[in-house]
Amino acid sequence: MMPPTALVRRAAPVLACIGVLALWQVAALALKNDSFPTAVEAMRAIPAILGDKEALINIMASLRRMAIGFGVAVLVSIPLGLMMGRSRAVAAFFNPLLMVIYPVPKAALMPIIMLWLGVGDITKTLVIFLGVSLPVIYHSFEGAKAVEEKMLWSGAAMGLSAIQRMVRIVLPAALPEILTGCRTGLVLALITMITSEMIARQSGAGNILFNALDMGQYDTVFAMIIIVGAMGIGLDAIFERVRARLVRWSEPQFDMPLSFS
Amino acid sequence: MTEPVAIRKAASAIIEIDRVSQIFQTSARKDHLALSDISLTIDEGAFVSILGPSGCGKSTLLYIVGGFVSPTDGAAKMKGKTITGPGPDRGPVFQEFALFPWKTVLGNVMYGPRQQRVRASEAEAQSRGLIEMVGLKGYENFYPKELSGGMKQRVALARTLAYHPEVLLMDEPFGALDAHTRTRLQNDLLNIWERDRKTVLFVTHSVDEAVFLSDKVVMMSKSPGRIRQVIDVDLPRPRRRNELLLEPRYQKYVVDIERMFDESDEAGSTS
Ligand SMILES: Nc1ncnc2c1ncn2[C@@H]1O[C@H](COP(=O)(O)OP(=O)(O)OP(=O)(O)O)[C@@H](O)[C@H]1O
Ligand SMILES: [Mg+2]
Repeated sequence: MMPPTALVRRAAPVLACIGVLALWQVAALALKNDSFPTAVEAMRAIPAILGDKEALINIMASLRRMAIGFGVAVLVSIPLGLMMGRSRAVAAFFNPLLMVIYPVPKAALMPIIMLWLGVGDITKTLVIFLGVSLPVIYHSFEGAKAVEEKMLWSGAAMGLSAIQRMVRIVLPAALPEILTGCRTGLVLALITMITSEMIARQSGAGNILFNALDMGQYDTVFAMIIIVGAMGIGLDAIFERVRARLVRWSEPQFDMPLSFS
Repeated sequence: MTEPVAIRKAASAIIEIDRVSQIFQTSARKDHLALSDISLTIDEGAFVSILGPSGCGKSTLLYIVGGFVSPTDGAAKMKGKTITGPGPDRGPVFQEFALFPWKTVLGNVMYGPRQQRVRASEAEAQSRGLIEMVGLKGYENFYPKELSGGMKQRVALARTLAYHPEVLLMDEPFGALDAHTRTRLQNDLLNIWERDRKTVLFVTHSVDEAVFLSDKVVMMSKSPGRIRQVIDVDLPRPRRRNELLLEPRYQKYVVDIERMFDESDEAGSTS
């Protein structure tokens, strides 16, 4: 039997979702606007989308690009960020570059990238990669910088080489911070994924959404928003579970996790 | 000399600190002379304490012997070879513990032996023994964040002992402990030392502790950090705390050293 507080915590996300949908329903009924379907209408359109082979192929293509962009970004950004955090020279080299890229909306780079690489998968995946990289680099950098020097000294005294210290001390010590960056990166991956498909319309979940918008199929538009939103919430929840498992050793005991898991 | 001391094998130098000076750049871009012209020889198997006021460079000196910091001037040698970096022959126990927070108590203690390719089962058995010795039986699967300061300190000690360094470099290892645990661990440390005859370089604030544990007490003074005096503590071993406290010679060492500190304080305040 679950204690009541745990029960409330479990139910809270569900209640929040129902609350949002209820508000939406009431607002849509009150406004009576053609371009603002009710929540019920939008949800009724979901099975049609998910039952359509074409739509599923589009959504899967989106997810694949997102997975590749996110995965490659994480694999490149973590080592880069960690090295920047431990080496002044590496940080001095990459910092100016990253500072220039950081504030530029990655979607704004898309026209140029499209010009060079076309409107296909590579362009969109690259934009996702760029969007994910920066928060992961930044958090890896901060995490590595904060590693207590005496911890590295202890490792050195045990005979760990510089590379071993990087992999076996800096990486695990910075892991909580790194995963915070990855979580931000995951959400950004979803956002850049949709944005890229909006700009280079050719396939993907964003493509369905904006085509429906063009054709005035507002219930499909809102259904897609629900689907994409659910994907985001689902991915974040899965990631948060994995994260919590990996860094159980660092969590404060009575922390309220900010997630839907 | 009494018998146990006489039994010890002929002393030979294991660590030589030769005219070491350390200058730090402070953030105000001024040079700060943390250690000035330190020379000290430590015999193999000796228990040497470094005693001095806060900020006199005790930790810095220990880091230089550990190879974590290279001195601005002079050199430290281990068995005749100039120390250029850390190595498993010198095991530090830091003032800040520096445990690996992602490892359990057992994982921390096993880390060194595993790094030295000791078989997992053997490393584990040894580590469990050490954990029991430092009084943490039952806490093997706790993470550092779940331990008190004194418990972390004991894990740090066990972690270093686990890879059998020839020289122990201990930086105020008992500073964070309550009086009772402190006494217990002092005794345990003495027992280990009497059994293995490791060389110990031991930093402390406490005159009592220094006299109780050491063959030699190195008194340092501050700004710049210098060696004021080296005192040989000629008390029989094995030492028992309750016997020693009643021993007039022990009391005299403690009083004398304390007086020397007071004098240096007065000298410092009048100058
Ligand atoms: N990395 C550093 N950069 C600049 N100054 C330093 C650095 N490390 C130590 N110092 C200075 O060197 C002096 C000696 O420091 P150290 O930590 O060795 O003292 P200590 O005797 O161990 O003191 P305590 O008993 O408080 O631990 C201090 O004045 C300190 O400010
Ligand atoms: Mg110190």
